[in-house]
Amino acid sequence: MSIESQARISRIATLPFEKAGAPAGGLISGVAPAVRDIWGHRALLDLLIRRELKARYKDSALGFVWSFIRPLTMLAIYYFAVGQVLGAARSVPQFAIYVFAGLTLWGLYNEIIAGGTTSILANAGLIKKVYVPRELFPLASLGSALFNFVVQFVVLLAAVLVLGQFPLSWDLLYVPAAVVLTVIYGLAFGLFLSAVNVYLRDVQYLVEVALLILFWASPIVYSFGMVVDRATARGQEWIVTLYQLNPMTDIILAFQKGIWRAGSETTTTADGTVIPPQPFPADLDFRLLVLAVVGLALLLVAQRVFARLQGNFAQEI
Amino acid sequence: MSTAPAPSVPVVTMTDVSKRFVIRKEKSLKERIVNLGRSNKHKDDFWALRGVSIDIEAGTTVGLIGANGSGKSTLLKVIGGILQPSTGEVRRRGQLAALLELGAGFHPDLTGRENVFLNGSILGLTQQQIAGFFDSIVDFSEIGEFIDTQVKFYSSGMYVRLAFAIAIHVDPDVLLIDEVLAVGDEPFQKKCLDKIAQFQREGRTIVIVTHDLGTVEKMCDRTVVLSHGTVIFDGDPVEGVAALRANFS
Repeated sequence: MSIESQARISRIATLPFEKAGAPAGGLISGVAPAVRDIWGHRALLDLLIRRELKARYKDSALGFVWSFIRPLTMLAIYYFAVGQVLGAARSVPQFAIYVFAGLTLWGLYNEIIAGGTTSILANAGLIKKVYVPRELFPLASLGSALFNFVVQFVVLLAAVLVLGQFPLSWDLLYVPAAVVLTVIYGLAFGLFLSAVNVYLRDVQYLVEVALLILFWASPIVYSFGMVVDRATARGQEWIVTLYQLNPMTDIILAFQKGIWRAGSETTTTADGTVIPPQPFPADLDFRLLVLAVVGLALLLVAQRVFARLQGNFAQEI
Repeated sequence: MSTAPAPSVPVVTMTDVSKRFVIRKEKSLKERIVNLGRSNKHKDDFWALRGVSIDIEAGTTVGLIGANGSGKSTLLKVIGGILQPSTGEVRRRGQLAALLELGAGFHPDLTGRENVFLNGSILGLTQQQIAGFFDSIVDFSEIGEFIDTQVKFYSSGMYVRLAFAIAIHVDPDVLLIDEVLAVGDEPFQKKCLDKIAQFQREGRTIVIVTHDLGTVEKMCDRTVVLSHGTVIFDGDPVEGVAALRANFS
């Protein structure tokens, strides 16, 4: 036996035994090993994100430009159809910034969840043949969604600067808070749905429909003020309460409060109409805090469900 | 071929490992609701592994053989942590690499170069290691200038050679191999076998699933014969191959 082989075997003899596969563990105790396992594979996560971004527009002539064209088209459609034709712009100052802010943040949420849900199935080949922490795949979707978000956000910032609407105030802090909350909720739902989708493929279609409904149930193309006005006019304030149960309502409102200065000011339009400041929930800070706590709890539950279900991924795909 | 180490140092221990697959006959929501409560009738249990308890010592080469569907690949996946056993436990130590498929995770739209980094990382190499091995990988694969071409334009031979070149540069203590060597032309296969002999000299533990009984007799120190998910023989390769042949007839 060679010296090299002897050295290897004596080194192995000193190593502790570990359980094969994903780290097990209870509700709380299982989280730390799982996070450590993912952290140990962060270089791979980085490569998976790059793979997703690179492969997406690889053979198209315009390539990366396409990730601008879609949101800008949506902006144009909503600006004209909802803003000008249906008249939502009349009561919402700087309607273009308003819509684009909402679309940008919603795009992040939508992409994390939709991409996450299909991520496990899309990587079936890998999951069946190698062990890597399976959380990497929804996380890679999150990474590529964040990258697209940053690109759109730069466009949004540029637009805000060009229109002379840069919001220099403490409200700007709402922007990172809203992004963090979006990531927490997106990841919690993405993780959970990606695991469930392996067992029940209907989930990915259901998610598409649900996201479409939730898009219209969030203050993106119309304003929160309109919801409040309609509800109070009918004496049905519970509608507002119900509306705010959608976590993205408050998160998007916070984002808008941060980046859309015109919403917090009194605006006089060219034809002399005076638009008062938009109503924001009075207890927005507190609501965001609650959302953060609930979101982290959801994320924890989602990770545990994922950990439980992933043991059979390789055979169910 | 190589001699077994005198003091036994197990790298993998399996205690009473069983794996059950549930075969559901209905998948759609409608069928599930209609059959709710009676769902047990619409399930079939299939035990791919039953009560497997084996230890694998460091520095040995173990051949897993058996008929089709005897649970060889399942056992390999359980050792690799890709499948979780239904009961029992697999414990192991040291760096492990599973070569169950060459080029797992290759993305057709990415270039050979990009895929080398991705696949190497999947097999457990760090980015610095891959960068260090890169020229050697390209040399071994004989891909040459095509390394910057998208992998989807590769011939199947090029694809496999690149994948194998990456795989042999991993530095595992335990290597799991599933039939992947049965690819490529004769010179290439010879290259693969030489590499495995080198791995053996370096004291790496190899667990190999194959139908090539000749290879098992030549290469392995030990054979585990599986039949319907249970171990029917464990020991000397020549006797193991004979036991399997007896089981066939």
